[in-house]
Amino acid sequence: MSSIITSPSHAAFERTTSRWGSITLFIGFLIATSVPFYLLFVADANIDLGEILKGFLAVFAVYGVFYIVEPLTYFPILGPAGMYQAFMIGNVANKLLPSAIVAQDTIGAKPGTRKGEYAATMAICGAAIIHVASMVIFVGILGTWLVSLIPEPVTLVAKLYILPAILGGVTVQLIASLKQLKSTLIALGMAALVILVLVRLVPVLAPGDVAIVVFLTILITWFTRNKAVTDKRPDSDGTDTVGIN
Amino acid sequence: MTVASGSADYIGLANAPILWILAMAVMGVVVVQSLIYMTAVKKNAESAGMSQQEVRSAFRAGGVAAIGPSLSVVLVAIALLPLFGTPPVIVRVGLIGSAATEVASASLAAGTMGANLGDETFTRGVFIVALMAMSLSGAGWMISTLILTPIFKRSSHKLEKVNPALMSIIPGAALLAAFAALTFRELPKSPTHVIAVIVSAVVMSICLLLAKTLKQNWLKEWGLGISLLIGLVAAYFAHYAGLGMPEA
Repeated sequence: MSSIITSPSHAAFERTTSRWGSITLFIGFLIATSVPFYLLFVADANIDLGEILKGFLAVFAVYGVFYIVEPLTYFPILGPAGMYQAFMIGNVANKLLPSAIVAQDTIGAKPGTRKGEYAATMAICGAAIIHVASMVIFVGILGTWLVSLIPEPVTLVAKLYILPAILGGVTVQLIASLKQLKSTLIALGMAALVILVLVRLVPVLAPGDVAIVVFLTILITWFTRNKAVTDKRPDSDGTDTVGIN
Repeated sequence: MTVASGSADYIGLANAPILWILAMAVMGVVVVQSLIYMTAVKKNAESAGMSQQEVRSAFRAGGVAAIGPSLSVVLVAIALLPLFGTPPVIVRVGLIGSAATEVASASLAAGTMGANLGDETFTRGVFIVALMAMSLSGAGWMISTLILTPIFKRSSHKLEKVNPALMSIIPGAALLAAFAALTFRELPKSPTHVIAVIVSAVVMSICLLLAKTLKQNWLKEWGLGISLLIGLVAAYFAHYAGLGMPEA
């Protein structure tokens, strides 16, 4: 157990979410992984272990770095509780974080505060329920019927442009909600520099691009912060334009 | 290696009743986790100066904001049904990962067996190897989260003790940086990507401006759905005007 407990009920929240978050994530992992094993044993498809290993390694070569980089990138945003939700449900950047941002904006809570954390947790729960309902109803029950209904060009556009069409809006809402002009400028500047320049010059860095931007932005924001304001009280409702208010 | 028979002979197998049960169980686990978390927030909200009204508002806002993204994910998931069968699509797209990651993983794995997604080379054996690779890769994310989260938690508590301001600055800066980077990453892909980002951003700005001037708070919740939809409509016209990605 961690030794710094600022409020007994927040400790209770952390205890519950850490214990049950990890248990549910582990169960989700077991069930999801059992699907291909079931097929492997009943299918009679003549597959040897080498083929599976080769297939996995091809995927691992591309995504293996992300197993580490993504949790590292999202931890400062999600906190421990949100981690178990996000890496169970997936769709972090296109669904869960946008929902958390919208909810914090709606009730006026800032990320990094308790209230912000609770708002994000509730928002992700709301998003999770909608996610499950949409998967069960529209994919599970109506899926095979809908697939014959929706024209192929529409599906193709959704597939190709879903992410940019979400990101443009979410980024604007995030900027409007946080009202941290300096951090915003630093983040946009670093993103432009790293994605449009650095990664082009040093392509090996591409899998870590977002993490690099996050790291640099935190670093610069930290060292240029207005110490008189931010180092006093984390939750002060001051009139500071920089840092968190 | 594998018998190249009818292209989708594995679809019956992929829709086996036991796989439906597993798929529903996975969705059930997500719901159970959410219920536990919701109870934990409700019980402890007071300690953060958060009213029960705000707890409900946050839940509703999160749910409403997820409608647009969920429906677009559904659209993509449906397109994958003929290829993988319904239960595997629910498990793969419904859990960690996204439609894009899963399709890429499947085609990478299929490639190691000299097969392609969606044509007659994609046999029963290739299907299982691809699904296995996708599942093991998804497991990689889950396991490393299970291992890393407690470690990160300990170090962030330590950092917090060193300087409390750290935890008040980092999340906001990290969020801004992550979304700035994710957005910039879309821009070089094609002119249509640029149009989708800009249209979505402009529509959101209008929604937020209207929400503020007209005091219509619901526009903050629905803004994402509206800007996503109009962004996709703009992308549709741009794509078929020839500004899109060359590959399908």
